[in-house]
Amino acid sequence: MKELKTGKKREPFKLNQSLLLLIMIIAVCLVATIVNPRFLRIGNLVNILQQISVLGIIACGVGMLLIAGQIDISVGNQVSLMGIIMALIIQYGGQIAPDAPHAWFIQWSIPIAVVVTFLMGTALGALTGFVVLKSGAHSFIVTLALGSVYRGIALLISGGGSFTLYGRFELLGRTRLFNFLPVAIIFLLIVVALTFILLKYTRYGRFLYSIGGNRKAAYVSGIKTTAVTMRAFITVGMLNALAALILISRVGTALANTADAYSLDSLAAIVVGGVAITGGKGSALSIFLGVLLIGIVGNALVVMNVNPHLRGIFIGLIIIGSVTFSGLSEQRSRI
Amino acid sequence: MSTDTVLSAEKIVKNYPGVQALKSVDFELRRGEIHALVGQNGAGKSTLVEIIAGSVLSDSGTITLDGKVCRSLDPAMSIDLGIQTVHQENQLVEEITVAENIFLYNLPRTRYGFVNLSSCVEAADKLLAELNIDVKSSRKVSSLSFVEKKLISIAKAFSLKAKVLILDEPTASLDEHGKEVLFSLIRRYTEFGLSTIYISHHLAEIFEICSRVTIFKDGVRVSTNTIAETNMNHVVQDMIGKSSESLYVRERRSVQDADKRSILEVCDFHRQDKVNHVSFSLKEGEVYGLAGLVGAGRTELAQLIFGIDKRASGKLLLDGKDITPKNPNDSIAKGIGFLPEDRKDAGLVLIQPVYENITLVRFVKEVKNRVRSFLQLPKERKEASQVVEQLNIVTPSVYQQVINLSGGNQQKVVLGKWLFADSRIIIFDEPTVGVDIGSKSEIYKLIDELADSGKFIIMISSDNPELISICDRIGVMRFGSLVQELEGDEMTEEKIVKISLGVHDEKEQDE
Repeated sequence: MKELKTGKKREPFKLNQSLLLLIMIIAVCLVATIVNPRFLRIGNLVNILQQISVLGIIACGVGMLLIAGQIDISVGNQVSLMGIIMALIIQYGGQIAPDAPHAWFIQWSIPIAVVVTFLMGTALGALTGFVVLKSGAHSFIVTLALGSVYRGIALLISGGGSFTLYGRFELLGRTRLFNFLPVAIIFLLIVVALTFILLKYTRYGRFLYSIGGNRKAAYVSGIKTTAVTMRAFITVGMLNALAALILISRVGTALANTADAYSLDSLAAIVVGGVAITGGKGSALSIFLGVLLIGIVGNALVVMNVNPHLRGIFIGLIIIGSVTFSGLSEQRSRI
Repeated sequence: MSTDTVLSAEKIVKNYPGVQALKSVDFELRRGEIHALVGQNGAGKSTLVEIIAGSVLSDSGTITLDGKVCRSLDPAMSIDLGIQTVHQENQLVEEITVAENIFLYNLPRTRYGFVNLSSCVEAADKLLAELNIDVKSSRKVSSLSFVEKKLISIAKAFSLKAKVLILDEPTASLDEHGKEVLFSLIRRYTEFGLSTIYISHHLAEIFEICSRVTIFKDGVRVSTNTIAETNMNHVVQDMIGKSSESLYVRERRSVQDADKRSILEVCDFHRQDKVNHVSFSLKEGEVYGLAGLVGAGRTELAQLIFGIDKRASGKLLLDGKDITPKNPNDSIAKGIGFLPEDRKDAGLVLIQPVYENITLVRFVKEVKNRVRSFLQLPKERKEASQVVEQLNIVTPSVYQQVINLSGGNQQKVVLGKWLFADSRIIIFDEPTVGVDIGSKSEIYKLIDELADSGKFIIMISSDNPELISICDRIGVMRFGSLVQELEGDEMTEEKIVKISLGVHDEKEQDE
């Protein structure tokens, strides 16, 4: 009788991408601290987390989608559009005279803005999913097109101008718990934790991996691939809504392109984290570490007083380095 | 070697993991002859042709063409030597003209280096006239009918000064008229001295057009005869050969309480052009085999039953109760499992570890049953490793990615997935393809045990001895229809092959 082949033996230890990221993060921190000891101050570290909270929330959604073999490069445009609508509502609320007939709206503009943003997020996610699944086209192309549409709508609404909150909605972006911990960080950590649980400990998460790994096998195994993928797109939309609330709350004004850069930044972070662009691989941890590394590099450059325009170059090099690493380790594991 | 030999292959050996595809095969092709290659699936004829065409490398042996000896060929060399293949599927470029297709590798140019379309069309028309092909060469390929595309493919090969033309199932999806047109072209170019290697499952055609026939079985050339000195019965005998010892001897159960056993009825499954109103039934504990040639509609039937493809009609009844699944998700709820023909394509998520593959279908079922709890990973791994042990899957651990497992073990993972989900009806589509002999007999044993435990098993296989040794009954399919059902002593290889090929014994009914 042979012994059972698992239970005792742990998963074989490999130098995986998460570990490499951790090493890189520590290395960047070390260098930054040596150059400028203020880097390691708790205040600065909290700062970093606050700066990455929006990116992190968006990346969790896109990362899930990527694991399921789909991509969404319209997320930045979605966030911008939702930001415009939300700021429009709040700005309108702020402009009403206290004795106007619809003065009730002053009180209600913020809750309405929040609800509308979430409804919009759900709708945009559903729309993206619907078009991707019905058209049969690659989601890259579909979301490229939809992103352009969203940007157009945002420009139309804003007329190229901006909407201001007049400091009325600062809870999500600027408030600090105990005067220390920004609320945005709490939301980021909750989202990361939920993503972790969803991906690792739910059947739905397992289905995402299976669909990304082999859609046909997943279908033959009885997974409702269309419904599961649709839900992933909707989740992305809702996370984008949360990101829009936090971002606009922090910035205080909304432009038609406020968040456009997040489309590619989130993708960059996820890929650096080691989520396979081909689907089926990655974890919440890898998404978070990717986001963290990008945030830390940006902050470290500022703290070290390096020309901030170098940030783009550094991030580009990091992306190339990490995908090369994962490509190489992939080849090694095949031999 | 006689002087009129154009191509000869000597002592060709080719091994694939687990199978010897060719065991020192000799083959000779004469100038201007149409030489048929026949054999059952996996007999080695395709491998030989691929070696001649250079798309597969032989392990040893030589190929001589017009006195030029080659140890190994690659596709470019093979074409250089004058060997052309016309595949079953269309390989012309759809969006350009016939003329450009014909001269694709050698387009006439104008002084300025652009394609000279008019001289191209002129030359192509001349060629087509020479071959009696009635197609205008200025037409776009996408506007041609299937048979016209076939004719143009052959004309193209001819224009490249081919000496040997390999035709792989050239009449597949052609009607009677198309066949006649094709045959007249083959006869025509043969007059120019071109030699043909003709692969087909249709013996009647071979007797109509070919001059010699070579028969393969299990990687060995059994015989080569001129058509005049042989007949269909001979050919079938040679294809089957002396019955090889069966790999697995099943313990035949004594059938008890036959009336008490549940019965599964497959009623009238139909899909245009693929599956033609197929019905059969089996009792619990039975293994029902589906035999036939590749393309006879067996896989399509399985996919209709499992709900992957849309059906025009079809019902699945279990003890009279309708359990026809709407889609794979529904199939799983109803306890139906399906091991697809290509496990890498549709059976496994290769980059996932063994345990995740095994538990996948169970999870789908649990979602259907509204189980909402979080996953318990240690329990999941433990249960998966019990399956691994039960099926004797050889893997360092359940964490191993399935892609790193051997074919046989991969197949057992697919099987484990359906067992773990407690499927009651299991459809096996070619369960032993690409599986080593050891795993093969283990899979047979498993199927046997599953049947014994009261499951319904439908097994598709192109390996007829395998079907005979495993199945209680065998339905033979041909052109989408279930032509005949064999039982007990009727289940012989000869009978299966004859029915699949449409060769009739004197007393048999017509098609």
